[in-house]
Amino acid sequence: MLKLEHICKQFDDKVVLDDINVEIGTGEIVSLLGPSGSGKTTLLNIILGLTRMDQGKIVFQGQDLSNVPMKKRGFNIVFQDYALFPNLNAYDNIVYGLRNKKGTVSKQEVREYIDFLELQPHLDKRIGELSGGQKQRVALARTLVTKPKILLLDEPLSALDGVIKESIKQRIQSIAREFKLTTIIVTHDPEEALTLSDKILIIHQGQIAQFGTPQEIVHHPSNDFVKQFIIKQLHIKRQNIYNLFGEQYA
Amino acid sequence: MRSAKPEMRVIFTVILLLFAVFLFLPLLILLVRSFGSDRGFTLGHYASIVADREFVAAIGNSVKVSGVTAVITTVLGFILAYSIHCTKIYRPVKGLLKTVIMVPMLLPTITYGFAIMYSFGNQGLITRLAGRNLFEIYGWNGLLIGYVIYTLPPVFLLIHNAFKYIDKKFIIVSKLMGDGTMQSFMNTIMRPLAGALGGAFVLSFILSFTDFGIPASVGGTYPVVATQLYQVMLGSIPDFNQGAVIAVMMLIPAVFGIWLLNYLEKWNFHYDKLSDIELPRQRVRDIAFGVMSSAIVMGMLSIFAVMFIAPWLSSYPYDMTFTFQHVRDVIQSSDLTGVYRNSLWVAFLTALFGTLMAYLSALLNVRTSLKARSAVDIVSMITNTVPGMVLGISYLLFFNGSSLKGTFIIIVLCNIVHFFTTPFLMAKNSLSKMSPSWETTGELLGDSWFKTVYRVILPNSASTVIEMFSYYFINAMVTISGIIFLVSAQTSLVASKIKELQHFAKFNEIFVLSMLIFFTNLIIKLVCDAWQRRTAQR
Repeated sequence: MLKLEHICKQFDDKVVLDDINVEIGTGEIVSLLGPSGSGKTTLLNIILGLTRMDQGKIVFQGQDLSNVPMKKRGFNIVFQDYALFPNLNAYDNIVYGLRNKKGTVSKQEVREYIDFLELQPHLDKRIGELSGGQKQRVALARTLVTKPKILLLDEPLSALDGVIKESIKQRIQSIAREFKLTTIIVTHDPEEALTLSDKILIIHQGQIAQFGTPQEIVHHPSNDFVKQFIIKQLHIKRQNIYNLFGEQYA
Repeated sequence: MRSAKPEMRVIFTVILLLFAVFLFLPLLILLVRSFGSDRGFTLGHYASIVADREFVAAIGNSVKVSGVTAVITTVLGFILAYSIHCTKIYRPVKGLLKTVIMVPMLLPTITYGFAIMYSFGNQGLITRLAGRNLFEIYGWNGLLIGYVIYTLPPVFLLIHNAFKYIDKKFIIVSKLMGDGTMQSFMNTIMRPLAGALGGAFVLSFILSFTDFGIPASVGGTYPVVATQLYQVMLGSIPDFNQGAVIAVMMLIPAVFGIWLLNYLEKWNFHYDKLSDIELPRQRVRDIAFGVMSSAIVMGMLSIFAVMFIAPWLSSYPYDMTFTFQHVRDVIQSSDLTGVYRNSLWVAFLTALFGTLMAYLSALLNVRTSLKARSAVDIVSMITNTVPGMVLGISYLLFFNGSSLKGTFIIIVLCNIVHFFTTPFLMAKNSLSKMSPSWETTGELLGDSWFKTVYRVILPNSASTVIEMFSYYFINAMVTISGIIFLVSAQTSLVASKIKELQHFAKFNEIFVLSMLIFFTNLIIKLVCDAWQRRTAQR
């Protein structure tokens, strides 16, 4: 279980996060949802240990991680641009971290991750030769072989188009189930957040607007912001789909 | 951004200390010496310099000849760049123009002077072809030709790069809107290029104003600032205070020029989306520019031609029989081969440590959150401003009593600082284009910072590193203005040796040594270019 207690962050005079309190259960997929500038990426970086918080505590499985440096927290992230190393091929990217931590993962396990993400045919390719979805899966594999205790994903779907988006979504869900891996995702897309995750943390101007399951958010929006910006967008989308297919598909 | 690591701080401190000792303090001493005397602060040195009629004339001469050079070079550079970007000249010809225009960069400027003498002098190659003396080469004419050749490559590069940012679609749009030829030319070419053309003028002016090699060889009795400075410092009665004053006087236009260059940069158009577009055919334009640009490049080459011919003849131009004698003499002279070895050694060390220093500076500047990281930007602006001769004099004044005096170390450091700006900007440009998350990713995968730099950052900027190395090497090989005050009998380099050989009129040796520099640089350039292409392909 990951507990965030009273987290505050300020950049110069601008308050980015203001008293964030959340509990995330083991194996849950949680989306941090909010418009750009809401502070969601900052919160992700604070959990990762990249950004220092001004106040508050991060407790993971009973242990206070607030002052533990990034490298020792045991979390890992897939960045929005994937940050794959172009001088190495797909396979060498995946096993990059193993040189530093010999013995943590066996060859057999690496093979399993590769098979699970269906990367076998692409292992010898250069990064430039991979499609967006393939890059995403290579980056996921590279992160998973380090056996992170929490998986963080920064806008994992924003650079992907239509069908690939849906398949990566399923992939993320099956990773969380298969490895009982707590997964925290940053996104600005309500549809993505509500269809992908177990719980959604809606952030608005550095504060929690609502934290709950997709059903709770859709049926019991707790304030105007959630209604106006989250639910309304989904209604418009639903209306567009109805118009295309006809009401009977409702 | 991630927090700064101790190892970053250590490297950064070392770099800043190096620049403090090898840039700031020497310049400070220079300034102090220009005002200093036994009795404290004085303006006396400035007063005596300003009262010196010969020196005032030299400043006037420098301004005049540099100004005229700058106008001519800008026009020629524009014609060449225009031919390459806006005409439909046969493609391989364009490639050839672009390559050949770079030839002067591979030679020391002092060689240009001797090539001009052998081309336009009384018995010169071109004089004999023309059947008469075209003009007096010592003084104004020689300087002008030399400066134009010297500054044409960088001026061409500057305009050429500016052309890359001009959207040629606007030429078509302007035509479709009914603009006449002249109006279209003004609106779609001249106006967007105004900043670059101004910049080209300023660049050519500063380079000419501060060069030493050309006036040293063909200056004759026409005094310019650079030769005055040399005489005051290394003449029969050296006067360090006066030298410091002249160096400061040389620095002032350079400072103003660089400021102007940065200001003019803002004038440039930057179309954000560029697209290639087929240009309409226009026979007259294409033929005219094809002929003009070929003439410029051929003219330049014809001046250097003699350098590659004379040393193979017994006694050019009197006895034209072929001989290996001169080349053999140079190779057998332990003195000259030793000097060549020195030059190679200095160029190699400069390239190695210069690249390391510029790369680390850029790395800390763009890829860390060090608080004072922008200090390197200021350093790079200063190194861009300070002319080689001024830097050399500052070193001479600052390190005069120290054990560094007369060593290779001081020459290498002077070169590293003198040519720092361009490699630093190359590295900065390349490093800032990479994903900002690599270091964090590497760290999460268990790397130390050094390890990520070595395993990821460096391999992905290999092509730039090679380019930096080649830039440093070639410039260290050809520079004379930076090192002329620093070489000793033991650390003599080819470029300074040429200056010495001039007194004994040993022109064959001069040309053989110049050829050695030329071919060494050519090999380095070709090898680096090929290697760069290979790494870029991967």
